[in-house]
Amino acid sequence: MNFDINAIFQIAGIGIITAMIHTVLKQMGKEDMAHWATVIGFVVVMFMVIRLLDQLFQEIRTIFLFQ
Amino acid sequence: MIKLIGALMIIGASTMIGLYRAKAYAERPRQIRQLIHAVNRLATEIGYGSTPLPDALGKLAQQMQRPLDRMFQEAAERLGRERNATVRQVWQETVDRYWGLTAMKAPEKEAFIELGSTLGVSDRDNQLKFLELAKSQLQHEEAAAREEQVRFEKLSRTLGVLGGALIVILIY
Repeated sequence: MNFDINAIFQIAGIGIITAMIHTVLKQMGKEDMAHWATVIGFVVVMFMVIRLLDQLFQEIRTIFLFQ
Repeated sequence: MIKLIGALMIIGASTMIGLYRAKAYAERPRQIRQLIHAVNRLATEIGYGSTPLPDALGKLAQQMQRPLDRMFQEAAERLGRERNATVRQVWQETVDRYWGLTAMKAPEKEAFIELGSTLGVSDRDNQLKFLELAKSQLQHEEAAAREEQVRFEKLSRTLGVLGGALIVILIY
């Protein structure tokens, strides 16, 4: 449980920082770079979410299908 | 506790990188301006004083600031010492060697090396014309560098801090 809370905060932090980087880059007129930063942040968060989902499915499998 | 110290160190390091890059952006127009001053003085030395090139460069070196003075000093010394090397060759090698220490980039290096290949090979009027040409090129580059400074100085400072924070959050 404790680990889950940490992961959520981590994802939230990445979101905030990515948004700030996007804003700063866009203000300075580097819009393509801003979009790349957002995409990279999104991919990183995606990986973390997929890892958590994988854990969830493993748990479900151990509970219902294979004892 | 150790984790916290490590996080602070990472943020500190990336902030330093950001500040360093911002400083390079701030330094570039200033150094180009110095080069323009140097070209002006060189024009005076050649046009009114008819000073030999090594002496003129030596005088310039004394009035320049930190990274550039050594470039001019070495060019002057090598021109005085190596009797059968051409100015162009010495100039190019010296500029190549010291350019990495400055904050300047390729366009002004091109203009400056171009200038070196025309010094000392023709009469006074011709050289003055080439100095004028180099000056206008450098002024153009200075305007471009100033514009870049306005755009990127603050950006790289902010990105340094934010990048550090991002790394810390990622590996915390």
